[in-house]
Amino acid sequence: MMPNRTALKAALLGSALAMSSAAFAQEIKIGFNGDLSASPSAQSGQAGVLGIQAAIEDINAAGGVLGRKLTLVVRDDLSQPPKSIQNMSDLIDNEKVVAVLGPTNSGNALAWKHIPNQKKNPSIGCIGSATDITKPATANAENYMYRVSMVDRAQVAGLIAYTKNNPAIKNVGFLVETTGYGQGGLKDLQELAEAKGLKPVATEKFGVNDTDMTSQLNKMKSAGADAVLVWAQGTPIAQLVRSMEKINYFPVTLTSWAADNASFFDTAGKALAEKPIFMRTITEDRTPKQQQLFDRLAPKMASKSAFSFAAHCYDALMITAAAIKQAGSTEGPKMREALDNLQAPVEGIMKTYNKPFSASEHEALTAADYRWTHWKDGKLVTYTDDVVKALKPTDFTQ
Amino acid sequence: MDVYLQTLLSGLAIGGVYALIALGFSITFTTTKTLNFAQGEFIAFGAFIGVTMLLLFSGLASTTTAVPSEAASAWRYPAAVIAAGAVAGLMGVLIFLLAVRPFAGKGGMNWVMSTLGFGVMLQSIGLAVWGPAPVMVPSPLGDDVLRIAGAGVRPQELLVLACAILIMVALDLVMRRSRIGKAMMAVAHSPQIASLMGINVGLVMIGAFALSSGLAGVAGVLIAPIASASLFMGIGFALKAFSAAIIGGLNNPRGCIYGGFILGVLESAVGLWQAQWREIVVFGLIILVLAFRPAGLFGQAAVDKV
Repeated sequence: MMPNRTALKAALLGSALAMSSAAFAQEIKIGFNGDLSASPSAQSGQAGVLGIQAAIEDINAAGGVLGRKLTLVVRDDLSQPPKSIQNMSDLIDNEKVVAVLGPTNSGNALAWKHIPNQKKNPSIGCIGSATDITKPATANAENYMYRVSMVDRAQVAGLIAYTKNNPAIKNVGFLVETTGYGQGGLKDLQELAEAKGLKPVATEKFGVNDTDMTSQLNKMKSAGADAVLVWAQGTPIAQLVRSMEKINYFPVTLTSWAADNASFFDTAGKALAEKPIFMRTITEDRTPKQQQLFDRLAPKMASKSAFSFAAHCYDALMITAAAIKQAGSTEGPKMREALDNLQAPVEGIMKTYNKPFSASEHEALTAADYRWTHWKDGKLVTYTDDVVKALKPTDFTQ
Repeated sequence: MDVYLQTLLSGLAIGGVYALIALGFSITFTTTKTLNFAQGEFIAFGAFIGVTMLLLFSGLASTTTAVPSEAASAWRYPAAVIAAGAVAGLMGVLIFLLAVRPFAGKGGMNWVMSTLGFGVMLQSIGLAVWGPAPVMVPSPLGDDVLRIAGAGVRPQELLVLACAILIMVALDLVMRRSRIGKAMMAVAHSPQIASLMGINVGLVMIGAFALSSGLAGVAGVLIAPIASASLFMGIGFALKAFSAAIIGGLNNPRGCIYGGFILGVLESAVGLWQAQWREIVVFGLIILVLAFRPAGLFGQAAVDKV
């Protein structure tokens, strides 16, 4: 741990210098810090970098920002929190980037979210979805953490809204895995359900490597649950639907977006993969703008289902550029002010962003921007039924 | 009623896997008084050897996360199981020669670290060759749920159970009836005396490690269609299997098998009550067993004569 601490001290001392000298550089440097090689989610990181590169090409082709070209500095954090922290200091102090995009893993963002705030260097997340990433350290603290991606809590709000507004659902049960991801989801589920007056008839947990969840499902069944809200990673959700088949119990199954993973589809098998309904930012019914970017990046993209991250990261870079333009400067505090109050609309891949952020709202995408999704014939397509059609934005309040 | 039958069937299916791996722990412990703490990596390595063999035999290409189901049909799956067992067995010889023999019988715990280290190396090599993503392996018997008196079970789970029982019965017979088995039991009893009786103790110990690791490799290919092959799949199974061996008695191969089944059914039954208490119940039981029957439920207390 010693080298890290000394590095951090040196970094703190150097931060003032970093700020002033960055302004004299010819090119404006943007950083990316995230897993590109070490975990299954590395594919999401790779897609994110492709999206940022595409956005930078487009901006530079149009003359850059403040008359200067943008460049990208990429750091792989191997999904390890200590490495990710080190990368942040390296990017901000040594490379003198004006903003950092990423990371791939939520846990790493939570490990270093104090750094952008201390160094007054904006961070725009475009992959990780943990609710707490963009929360300020204290109620009115200056907050440099922004996001253009899904948010766990907003997804939960969507699932609860669906449950609440479906007259066919009488009893709901919660099923979560025992990891930090599952427990975080359970906390959101319980808080939002209580706020909406929804009371689960049972709450069950399972291990991330479990291969048989029939015991938990039998308890759900005997409690009379006709819908289950599931918060887990892709493979355990697959094992869950496989266990449902064993006891022939198929309640309405609403899950976290992890069900969009290829590993979920392969483990569940083609027929069972069609059971869960979940929220996602992009389905395969793409808008023309999304299709355009997809066609441009497809040859370089290893996993097609990771395309959503390319789109998020493209938009995150566009919003960053707009903030620099409005601030007329690459100084962190000025960029933060501009981000919190962007005047001109930003044309993105996901949508056109009108004032995406404010002092209190640091999420550019909210539940109203999400799409209901399910697997159909091996493809992620938009899901719709009468309940989905009748949902109004006010139903998603958190 | 069918809820309890479901619990029992699910428990026996997973218990068979624990029993098979627990048996591997017992074989090396009784002959060399050491354990292979890389057993978990051998399971994962075996599973990926199986994946490679299935693709090689069938000439089919794999997607990044799944092996096509035709690849496991007919003779290919059994052949892949045997190949994985053989490769893992060879690796077992290697781990004995490199990481166990230099330290075995010398007191101290060096072999614990060296076998753990061997496992880390094996995992890193695996990551370099096959990558981190889990790979779904098809079952040779298809994936349709079979119904037994209202309880559902997948064919692969029955296959694992059947293979586990078959292998265990065969090993039991070999150990008790054949000359090789008797030689192993003699070495287990006392390497010095066995050596004086003209038994090649070194060879028996190598054989024990090959057999134990081979079993782990076989278990890997058998579990892969249930849990999907992943380089991180083995550690959880190995820890549970080691627990099963402790519960049943490390020095009693039959006890280890019973321990495996007991653990599997217990886990499944606790899930029917409160799934998040499962690990607490399992490891609480281990502490209880160690406190009241240190040699395990079916082990014989060793009396050290001075």
